Amino acid sequence: MKNLYQPQPVKIEKIEFLSPSVKLLRLKKRLNFVPGQFVLAGLWGYGEAPFGPASSPYQKQYFDLMVRKGGTVSAAFHSLKKGDEITVRGPYGNGFPLDFFKGKDILMVSGGCGIPPIASLTEYLIKNREDFGRIYLAYGATNPDEILIKDMTDRWQKSVKVLLTVDAPTPDWRGRVGFVTELIKEIKVNPLDTVAVMCGPGPMVAAMEKILKSIGITDRRIFISEERKMQCGIGKCQHCATGEKYVCLDGPVFNYDEIDKNFD
Amino acid sequence: MTVVLEKSNIPKLTEALSRQYLVVDYEKDKTALSVKGYFLAPREKLFSFFSKTKKLSVRSSPKRKLLLFGLDLADIEALGQLDEIMTKPREDYFYLRKRRNSLIVGVVEHSITMPVATGDLILEKINPSQYRAVSLTKAGQEIVKNKFFKKEKNPEILIYPEEKSNLRELAQDSELLAEAVSWARVKNHPIWEKLEKICLGCGICAYVCPICHCFSMEDEIEIDGSASHRCRYWDACVLNNFSRVAGGKNFRPALKNRYFNWFYHKFVRAYKEYDNSQCVGCGRCQKYCPAEIDIEKVLSEIIRDYEKSLSAPTG
Repeated sequence: MKNLYQPQPVKIEKIEFLSPSVKLLRLKKRLNFVPGQFVLAGLWGYGEAPFGPASSPYQKQYFDLMVRKGGTVSAAFHSLKKGDEITVRGPYGNGFPLDFFKGKDILMVSGGCGIPPIASLTEYLIKNREDFGRIYLAYGATNPDEILIKDMTDRWQKSVKVLLTVDAPTPDWRGRVGFVTELIKEIKVNPLDTVAVMCGPGPMVAAMEKILKSIGITDRRIFISEERKMQCGIGKCQHCATGEKYVCLDGPVFNYDEIDKNFD
Repeated sequence: MTVVLEKSNIPKLTEALSRQYLVVDYEKDKTALSVKGYFLAPREKLFSFFSKTKKLSVRSSPKRKLLLFGLDLADIEALGQLDEIMTKPREDYFYLRKRRNSLIVGVVEHSITMPVATGDLILEKINPSQYRAVSLTKAGQEIVKNKFFKKEKNPEILIYPEEKSNLRELAQDSELLAEAVSWARVKNHPIWEKLEKICLGCGICAYVCPICHCFSMEDEIEIDGSASHRCRYWDACVLNNFSRVAGGKNFRPALKNRYFNWFYHKFVRAYKEYDNSQCVGCGRCQKYCPAEIDIEKVLSEIIRDYEKSLSAPTG
């Protein structure tokens, strides 16, 4: 009998600030995963917490986590240095339905710390660029310092239209100001053949869903990556259960139709 | 031929069995807690990690087989459900490791009218002084080889009807319960707000329930830092922080929603997942709730209103 709770040790290859509150942890291990899946990463003495890998699923040498200092585990991760060991188990969950995305226009919307699975998906889409129509990534951060994809934007722009916006600009900010919802004006997709993918704060997702629906993208083609408390990752502990669904088994990616019917 | 056991021989039998097994006489020492704690412990260490050697060890469990003696039918049924939950869709290593190293002997004080699917040996009362032994597994057959069991051609078999329990009857109609609780959610039935005012949010209902299996994990650390232990412990979905994530967002801040979620899991999600409501009507939550919430009355009220709504003219 396999012990699904048994964590595997992984070494930190690189650890650096992405923003004042978020660190990138590059972990030396090949992880076979579908963008949108998650791992339970842990540190002995502190426990485990769920994270969605942010790196390309094709990356064979390592995978990346983006960690915001928010809870016990993430705060402990921030104190680590290169060469230290953490643990992982997984990947868990369903990931994005990539086959369903094929041939369609893709509109990704993300805010703040919701970017990791979207970043991984972006890498996948770029690698398979010819399989998809127009691709947009709309990303909003509270201020320019909190943009977590600064290092990738230039490379991504070559294949994907990346739209960045901030709520509170700094004097040197030359880009857009405002909520991510306002970026919709700049997005030209064929609504009948578009999938929207979102991961970010609840209010952002809810506001965006209304807009997407109004331009003709139906709930079944709007995919959300959900966040919940998770302890086991295998559908036992009940923390992530909502309605008839387990976020860890049936999700974390759901179409909006499922969420609407199921989530309390 | 019927295999029978004299009632007067039960203490001698458990004593004999305790030479081979770790016997817990559940009939004798019946507590508020069900037997689930023997397999899903209130708190247990799963792994230990030693900082110096960087060695990870899976905590061992007792080698000696555990024999739980004297479970009634409701508790056997509950254990059968928990077995299924811990096996499907993925196996829970720590639960199954202990469960597979255990034997269950049921003692039933009434005539059995439905087949029993869980356990190794069932002792069914057939007359004031005798039980009929029905072994369900090889391990059960082994126990029956014990000298206290006798084969009899025509033992006196009397009918002992099961003591009537409304809750147990209610719990058996899992389809109706799933429909009614689902309906009570959609219609935002006033009962949830009523319950929120009474419920203390203490979680005792979940702890005493033989099927509830919410748990959390946390690490314990040795005071000198030499080792840390990953532990799992009972949680309860009505507790305030049950759905709170890092950063502070709580997906169910209102007790009303948490209480409802408890019901929704037991009677709706469970029915869709396993074809059963996760309630066997044992009555523990009724008996031990400090706010005296009576699950039987709650369910009856929901069902009554649901059935009323069905017969009400629509439009």
